[in-house]
Amino acid sequence: MGGSTRTRRHNLTMADTETLTRTDQSVMSDVPWNVVVHDDPVNWHHYVVMVFMKVFSYDEKHATRLADHVHTLDRAIVWTGDREKAELYVQQLQMHQLRTTLEKSS
Amino acid sequence: MTIIPTLEGGLRIDTEDASDWDLFRSLIADAGSFRVDLADRLGGLIDKDSGGEDWREYVVPDLREEFQDQLAQIYALIESAAHEAEGGAGPLWLRAEHGYAWYGSFNQARLALNEKHQFQLFKEDDSLVPTPEQLAAYARFRFYGKIQNELLQHVLR
Repeated sequence: MGGSTRTRRHNLTMADTETLTRTDQSVMSDVPWNVVVHDDPVNWHHYVVMVFMKVFSYDEKHATRLADHVHTLDRAIVWTGDREKAELYVQQLQMHQLRTTLEKSS
Repeated sequence: MTIIPTLEGGLRIDTEDASDWDLFRSLIADAGSFRVDLADRLGGLIDKDSGGEDWREYVVPDLREEFQDQLAQIYALIESAAHEAEGGAGPLWLRAEHGYAWYGSFNQARLALNEKHQFQLFKEDDSLVPTPEQLAAYARFRFYGKIQNELLQHVLR
């Protein structure tokens, strides 16, 4: 994955009449992000499996293995990839009432 | 009360009397009893380094709207069915197209009840004696869970 460039403009007003425009360029590295689902005492295991299949299109075997990890390890990384897509998945999982977070992949 | 899968991929629940309708109405009340609402609780899981402030500004309102819409839809279905049955014996239809709204509403209720009463503590510590209020809440918690299981088996496939 390559890097992306983000440009920011700051309009700084100096006194009453002078305006200084400064341009910063920084390279944003495309660090992968993890979608993490945390265990809770309410959501049914079978429901968690079904949600993983629905949101990620995982097959039942893979979804079941991930749901098992959530339950036994208290949390599981269920997807890793670019941030924008990770955010979308987190939102979808939270819509299904699963305790879900986002973290940078180490 | 009996729960029967339908040929159309839904469930039919036959109520027996007014107390059954009260039980379904308690679903809405329980789901609305979070100390911190569910959208805020879920949104609060996103930390600052992961964009938590933006999450609370842009995503949490959508979550809140989704959860409130689920409850509003289910409330209307319950009241309509109770009206048809004149508050007594009659069917409540959980149609396939409303499956996720039903499941989500029962889930909101169970999450709220568990947040309030921490039922797992009673399993971990035999010396804890539940109050009558806690026993009643646990009965509803299990009832909601039973219907969720029926939804998982017959509707949300």
